[in-house]
Amino acid sequence: MKRSAAATLVRERLDPRDIVVCSLGSARRAWVELAAPHLTYNASDPMGTAPALALGLAIARPERRVVLLEGDGDLAMNLGVLVTIAGAAPANLRVAVFTNARYETGGGQPLPNAERFSFAAIAKGAGWPWTGEGRDEAEAAKLLDELLGRKELGLVALHVAPEASPYPADPGPTSQAEDRAAFQKRLADG
Amino acid sequence: MTSPTPAALNAERIVGSLVRAGVEVAASLPDSWLAAVIDRIEAEPRIRHVRVTREDDGVGLCAGASLGGKRAVLVCQNAGLLLSANALAGYGLHHQLPFTVLAAYRGSHDDGFYYQMYKGAVTEPVLAGLQVRYHVVDRADGLGVIEDAVREAWLARRPVVTLLRRAALLGDAAPGSR
Repeated sequence: MKRSAAATLVRERLDPRDIVVCSLGSARRAWVELAAPHLTYNASDPMGTAPALALGLAIARPERRVVLLEGDGDLAMNLGVLVTIAGAAPANLRVAVFTNARYETGGGQPLPNAERFSFAAIAKGAGWPWTGEGRDEAEAAKLLDELLGRKELGLVALHVAPEASPYPADPGPTSQAEDRAAFQKRLADG
Repeated sequence: MTSPTPAALNAERIVGSLVRAGVEVAASLPDSWLAAVIDRIEAEPRIRHVRVTREDDGVGLCAGASLGGKRAVLVCQNAGLLLSANALAGYGLHHQLPFTVLAAYRGSHDDGFYYQMYKGAVTEPVLAGLQVRYHVVDRADGLGVIEDAVREAWLARRPVVTLLRRAALLGDAAPGSR
């Protein structure tokens, strides 16, 4: 499954009021390329802390659903956060892990023990109430229906094909702090 | 009926300061000096308390709560500040998100363990190097700075750390007794 296809499947199932948080890496790239209208916060950097940031946002705004589009390298950096999130269990947080088994932006190097572990199984073992793992578009579509249809915390791992992800030539017109301020203004405006 | 311990009295002052400052979200990872504070936060209905597995999870959680418009505090030992260096700098300087950290200041003249000493030696230089604002509270009569630190973080759009020495948390019991 191409990462753009996975991101499209997510987008097709979101409510307009859902807030999207992206970790660094290819999940973020796939989401940005869709130019979706949803309120979105790009959490990069610090690497490894996007799930905790999404947890804090979900706790702060229980009236809004928060959907984290997470990279596998980011999540592998800090698996303990799965225990933290399961303990807090916010009903308004969903996580979709884009799994390509490599550090794509860093040059395509493999994750440790690549392709031989399962984020869904780890999350289940950490106490998540619902987890799933999709390896093709049909499976992903079905699992995303369930993830976003349920009224509780959940995580789905979506296996996506490796794709080149070179650094953009231009860093863009706005800094992270400026993006943060713009995000907060849109959030305050409802 | 037994009297409250000095630790419980100080915990009451600390959590009272957090509530008055508008803190609604707390993350914690234990240290023995912080046991009463964490118990008091857990019992406080105006604060949503989350137990974390690593201190940089707490930094990320507080940053996320701040992003969502809530004031948040991380309660941990100073070792957690050392572990969280990248997260503190990233959310402070890159995102410019405010939150407060209350850290037990282990490893100084008031501590009784060899293994704590290195933390006392490096904590303040590391915070200074990260450009993180911080305050040191030596005794319980200085706990009023906590309320100010929450406001300072909000105004500065940065994390602010308050380092709490033994007497500010436990009273004046002899080093090594806990």
